Amino acid sequence: MKFFKPANLNDFFEITAKIKKNIYFLAGGTDINVQIKNNLLSEANIIFINNLPELKGIYQENDQIVFGALTTFRELINSSLVKKHLPLLSDNLQNFASPLIQTSATIGGNIANGSPTADIMPLLMILDANLIIAGKAGSHQININDFYHGYKQNKLNKGEVIKEIRINRDALTDVSTFYQKVGARKTLTIAKVTLAGLMKITHGKIEQINLAVGSLNEYARRLPQLEAYLTGKTKQQINLEKLKTILAKEITPISDLRSEKEYRFSVCLNLIRTFVE
Amino acid sequence: MEIKFILNKKAVTIDVDPMKRLLDVLRENFGLMGSKEGCGEGECGTCTVLLDGKPITSCITNAIHAEGKEVLTVEGIALEEDGKLLIECFDETNAVQCGFCFPGFLVSSYYYLQTDGDEDLEKIKTALSGNICRCTGYQKIFDSVLLACKRK
Ligand SMILES: Cc1cc2nc3c(=O)[nH]c(=O)nc-3n(C[C@H](O)[C@H](O)[C@H](O)COP(=O)(O)OP(=O)(O)OC[C@H]3O[C@@H](n4cnc5c(N)ncnc54)[C@H](O)[C@@H]3O)c2cc1C
Ligand code: FES
Ligand code: FES
Repeated sequence: MKFFKPANLNDFFEITAKIKKNIYFLAGGTDINVQIKNNLLSEANIIFINNLPELKGIYQENDQIVFGALTTFRELINSSLVKKHLPLLSDNLQNFASPLIQTSATIGGNIANGSPTADIMPLLMILDANLIIAGKAGSHQININDFYHGYKQNKLNKGEVIKEIRINRDALTDVSTFYQKVGARKTLTIAKVTLAGLMKITHGKIEQINLAVGSLNEYARRLPQLEAYLTGKTKQQINLEKLKTILAKEITPISDLRSEKEYRFSVCLNLIRTFVE
Repeated sequence: MEIKFILNKKAVTIDVDPMKRLLDVLRENFGLMGSKEGCGEGECGTCTVLLDGKPITSCITNAIHAEGKEVLTVEGIALEEDGKLLIECFDETNAVQCGFCFPGFLVSSYYYLQTDGDEDLEKIKTALSGNICRCTGYQKIFDSVLLACKRK
């Protein structure tokens, strides 16, 4: 295992450009140290990014709330800016992991790790969060809903880092929201099913609805077909059979040691009904 | 690599592999045996210490994470007023059986007493939810912290 400690982003680009493969970043270390313990990273080149100043802080810029990728879950749930504009995040991440893990775990690490069970993902997805990806050639933006393409597979190229996460400050204005993580216990639990939703109702009709699920596919995702079906409908117009058919196309729950696929399907359906009906 | 930090209020410098687990640094380089290894994966809290005043699991934290920061271990906490108060309350309530989890609980309880301290069972449960005890039924642990909040 080799270790590198860039002082800033430019330094980081220089270092990563010289390493051919097996590059891993060390932020809070809560995922990577578990992999090291299980001997999964013996040939790794570890780059310590937890001190990079460009990746820190939570602040407002025009109509955006900006989270540096190194923002920890503790910082996120305690942030007055988040409580004011995006309480959906601070309210629902209180039980993330455990108070001890919350101190170290970063949002950037959680997004990069890309576990289908990650608690924050469905929330970022309904909020249409944008990721700012920094590389030697410059920065570009990618919507979180376009970031994954397989189990723990994302669109980061070699030498690129998630620099920040940006969310529209007014994303929660005039909408109702929903979030439920279903797990075996309150803290330190891996989700069996997670649903996040955001809905705008005008004159009794669903004008806009964003739905995202976790733990039901190889990566967390929005449910675009269901969103399209529900848009423009009144509650009375929603047909349960139709809802089931579309949902069956959009989620592919598996049976594992935590629960059966039929259970996951029913719970997801019931959560959606609780929200929209 | 040379790493400098503040350990239990004293400035220290060590030459160490930056990836060495903070837990091992404390136990092997400094002989501080209070922090224990239960799971080694962040799940049980027996290795809890304060890093810049906030509780972390030192088994999945690296030496490099401590650089330039303050580390307070259970040994340091035991010398503080709130630490002494907590030990007294755990003792009176008979909250400790085998004792393996106790250092971790002490660190998390100390953090709670310092940052909140409300005599509120639900809040205490949340504050201690990263620590696991396999001997007691937790009730006596919660009672001890409630008692400490009352006496403070
Ligand atoms: C006991 C325990 C309980 C947990 N419970 C939960 C839970 O309830 N819900 C949940 O969602 N997660 C949970 N986790 C998972 C974990 O805490 C998160 O995934 C964490 O947010 C990862 O962040 P980190 O900074 O610790 O990442 P690290 O371990 O430092 O890095 C993880 C990976 O991300 C990459 N990476 C890190 N930062 C960046 C960046 N800015 N840009 C690009 N790549 C990057 C690294 O290369 C590495 O591969 C738990 C973990 C533990 C140990
Ligand atoms: S040994 Fe660190 S949390 Fe279990
Ligand atoms: S007293 Fe034995 S583990 Fe808690």
